[in-house]
Amino acid sequence: MKNKKQRSLNVLMNILLILYAVFALFPLIWMLLISFKSDTEVFTTTFLFHPTLANYQEVLLRSDYVRYIRDSVIVAGGAVLVSIIVGVPAAYALARYNFPRKEELAFQILSYKFAPEILVVLPLFMIYQKLGLYDSYFGLIWVYQLISLPLLIWVVRGYFEDISVEIEYAAQVDGYSWYQIFFKMLVPLIKPGLVSSALLAFIFAWNCFTFPLILSSNKVYPVTVAIMKYLGTDSAHYGQLAVASTVSALPAMIFALCIQKHLVRGLSFGAVKG
Amino acid sequence: MARIQLENVKKAFGKVQALDGITIDVKDKEFFVLFGPAGAGKTTILNCIAGIMMPEEGLVKFDGEIMNLTDSAHRNVAMVFENYALYPQMTVYDNMASALRSKLYKTDEAEIRERIQWAAKIMKMEKLLERLPSQLSNGQKQRVAMGRALVRNPSVFLMDEPLAHLDAKLRNSMRTELKEMQANLGSTCIYVTHDFMEAMALGDRIAIIKEGRIVQIGTGDEIYYMPCNEFTAQLMGDPEINLIDAEISGTEEAYTAKFSLNGEMVACSLPQDSGVYAKIKELGLKRVDIGIRPQHIKYSFEPQDGYFKTTVYSYESIGNKSVIVTDCGDKNHSQLRMIAPNGLRVAIDNDIYIHLEMDHAIFFGSETKDYIVRYDEANYIALAAAQEDE
Amino acid sequence: MAGLTLNHIYKRYDNSGKKKKVKNDFAVKDLNLVCEQGEFIALLGPSGCGKTTTLRMIAGLEEITDGEIYIGERLVNNLHPKDRNIGLAFEDYAMYPPLNVYGNVAFNLRAKGVDKSEIDRRVREIAPLMQIDDLLEKMPVKLSGGQKQRVNIARAIIREPELLLMDEPLSHLDGKARQAMRTEIKRLINKIKCTTVYVTHDQLEAMSLADKIAIINFGVLQQFGTPTEVYDDPVNEFVASFIGEPPMNILETTIIKKEGTFFFTFSNSNLEIAVPQRYYSVISDGFRCKMGVRPMDVLIGGPDSQGTPEKIATFENLGDERRIGIHVGDILMMLITEDEKRYKRGDIIKLEVRGEKTHLFDITTGDRIREKK
Repeated sequence: MKNKKQRSLNVLMNILLILYAVFALFPLIWMLLISFKSDTEVFTTTFLFHPTLANYQEVLLRSDYVRYIRDSVIVAGGAVLVSIIVGVPAAYALARYNFPRKEELAFQILSYKFAPEILVVLPLFMIYQKLGLYDSYFGLIWVYQLISLPLLIWVVRGYFEDISVEIEYAAQVDGYSWYQIFFKMLVPLIKPGLVSSALLAFIFAWNCFTFPLILSSNKVYPVTVAIMKYLGTDSAHYGQLAVASTVSALPAMIFALCIQKHLVRGLSFGAVKG
Repeated sequence: MARIQLENVKKAFGKVQALDGITIDVKDKEFFVLFGPAGAGKTTILNCIAGIMMPEEGLVKFDGEIMNLTDSAHRNVAMVFENYALYPQMTVYDNMASALRSKLYKTDEAEIRERIQWAAKIMKMEKLLERLPSQLSNGQKQRVAMGRALVRNPSVFLMDEPLAHLDAKLRNSMRTELKEMQANLGSTCIYVTHDFMEAMALGDRIAIIKEGRIVQIGTGDEIYYMPCNEFTAQLMGDPEINLIDAEISGTEEAYTAKFSLNGEMVACSLPQDSGVYAKIKELGLKRVDIGIRPQHIKYSFEPQDGYFKTTVYSYESIGNKSVIVTDCGDKNHSQLRMIAPNGLRVAIDNDIYIHLEMDHAIFFGSETKDYIVRYDEANYIALAAAQEDE
Repeated sequence: MAGLTLNHIYKRYDNSGKKKKVKNDFAVKDLNLVCEQGEFIALLGPSGCGKTTTLRMIAGLEEITDGEIYIGERLVNNLHPKDRNIGLAFEDYAMYPPLNVYGNVAFNLRAKGVDKSEIDRRVREIAPLMQIDDLLEKMPVKLSGGQKQRVNIARAIIREPELLLMDEPLSHLDGKARQAMRTEIKRLINKIKCTTVYVTHDQLEAMSLADKIAIINFGVLQQFGTPTEVYDDPVNEFVASFIGEPPMNILETTIIKKEGTFFFTFSNSNLEIAVPQRYYSVISDGFRCKMGVRPMDVLIGGPDSQGTPEKIATFENLGDERRIGIHVGDILMMLITEDEKRYKRGDIIKLEVRGEKTHLFDITTGDRIREKK
């Protein structure tokens, strides 16, 4: 009797989950469908249409789309790289050393993430113009790492805190210098956290829209802003827009799928393990 | 192997003075135990020797050479940590090889293999070499931590409560194994513990540490039989020594100790002993604390001559024997502990008659709490001296 | 009258949901126990042996697969935990943090809707018994481990239960606090005379607290008896080695016959111990078995002893006693002496074994081999 009850409960749960999945994934599927439609068929709401690759040819071969992707990779990747180089030692210091106002500093780093982008972007625009950082790779990397650095520091700090300090002592006694200990003993131990937070930071940076919209124009053209190009003033090429969006969403989705397991574990592990 | 000396070492953490003038001289090939309650500063002493912490004052010497400014990598010490501190990402084998693969102590792989096999055999862990630390039980982790220290050829082994996290049974058997291993190694070793049995069983000499200071240094027998104060006496022994607040009266021919038991004053004659009698006369002792170890209180369930009536508070096994605690209804020494065999029929709150074997008593000052004299003192001094010579 | 009866209790965990099938999926197998009214029973065994499962089944927190549980004369198989009239004290204290000690102790009675003045009377009655009268106004976070445990037990016994269940209540305490609390529990149970089932993995705790000990391994009851019985007369090798510290020396032996006398002999050792007469009916020349003897029953012989000379491998001076280890083959045989003499490693002593205190165990099953009456 109990088993029957349990089974029907299971079925119900699964149905609910499927419904939710359809609801959540529908926009993505719709976008994918549109990317194969010709402009005339875009607004049909039936699932029957004549699939075409014309949009893909147009976007990938006959526009600067590849360049936009490259710009996004450079800027988002650069931001993550800077975050790793700066953030890992910072996280180590926050985890291991005691200095005045430590917690305030840690919180301040996190608070960079609190400011609404739209609020800071205008002052930043003026500063960037003065400094000549406007529309440069360095300028965008600089502002992107505001997004990626806090995340990385907070996750990796948790990992460092979980490594007992005696492990470092043991390695010292074993005859290793501090740098050797850091790279041989500590880095492998924080790797899951580092990888998952770095990838997440990459995805956040990749998806960033407001900053590149205001802080760059022609020289640096990340894909999020570039997609707008296909919304022309005269006509909106929804098919091409869909292609651009689909392709730009791919890296994030592929990453997310590959590291799905590690992502959840990596981000929550440091906090829960205790 | 080396002689390790600390001279007036001081170390503070913020306002807390963790070490307050520690001076010890550990001889070459000695097994030296630092023994004291939690928070006494024992681990800090080890950390100062290992170079993990820098003392603010005082000298750390290895074989007479001042090591204060040498970092821990260059001190050539092997340390076993309380929480084992195994490298979680490495197999047991790699953990053990770690020191020998460092630039400083570089050894070729063939020799590393040989050394690890040897250490694994001693620690009975040949089958564990390919496992990761997370796949080991606490007892096994402890062996690996020990093995990692063993493969090296250090100036000194530093061991920080290596058995503390094992359950009582495993701890005792590991202690015995450690004792056997120690004899085979013949190396200088400084061992931190808060377990009285470990201190007694393992140490060539024991230093009692309390609040960052050394209370007493001596062989196990010396400290057990002639503790320098009541703190040491209580620390050395499980169940704890009984301390009775007593008054001494009488003449040079025969002294008597009087103390209250269940609200009445009872008298117990002190047997003749030249040392004790001379000390009482010399200092004109009136009030003392008399220390009597639990095995020197005898009990009877029938009234007997020289036995005092008390009631049983509890009767519990402590392994191969039991402890009877009696209730004496007195503020100062409300309970007396004594050793009894297992399996007696003892009912709680029933009458029990006890007899104090005064000829094993240790006398402490009732104000100072310091050691004054004990029965058979000359004998025990000789016993301690004999051990010192070994 | 029986306080608690377990009749052929089985517990099988449903593994259908798990990928890995566990070979032995009975957590408890055919467990029979009768506990007299007012008796203090300890369930003792290594971790994972099924002792906690048993306790949880008695409490009604876990369903039983098969069998019958009686509390007093009542069959409680299908009763909800709250209707079984039991008091529970668990390993973790699980106090209600927003309530002070008084509130925590009174919680159960309040939930049952007992009269306020009656609650107050009972709390005031039990507080001095558990020595928590000074703590009643304190909040749980302010209490030490020992105090929390006292409150925990007070909470369990205030309902005046028919049966008190405790699951490793001392495992969070260490050293001296643990020993002191053990004494308190023993005195308390002695006073309230409530039938009690106490789960522990610490043989010392079981030995010093319980009237009777049930030793469980792999879900199977090994032996049920008084502490003296399980110590002096273990039914098998497991019980013999589990009870007692240091553990019983257990050595594989081959019995040989020399001039009409049987001797225990050991591989890679010249140690020979005369087999006591009472075993002669069950052994023969060349018989292989295991011999067990407690460290207290191995003695150092005097100068004219007939014992085998053996070399000391370890000597531990523990103040009031000394432990000596001697290699017999690969095994370190321990002996305990209160003799004042200090030995050194390598000294030769003559080893004597109290033959009448030896036990024989089957070499494969580990079951006790008893002499024929």
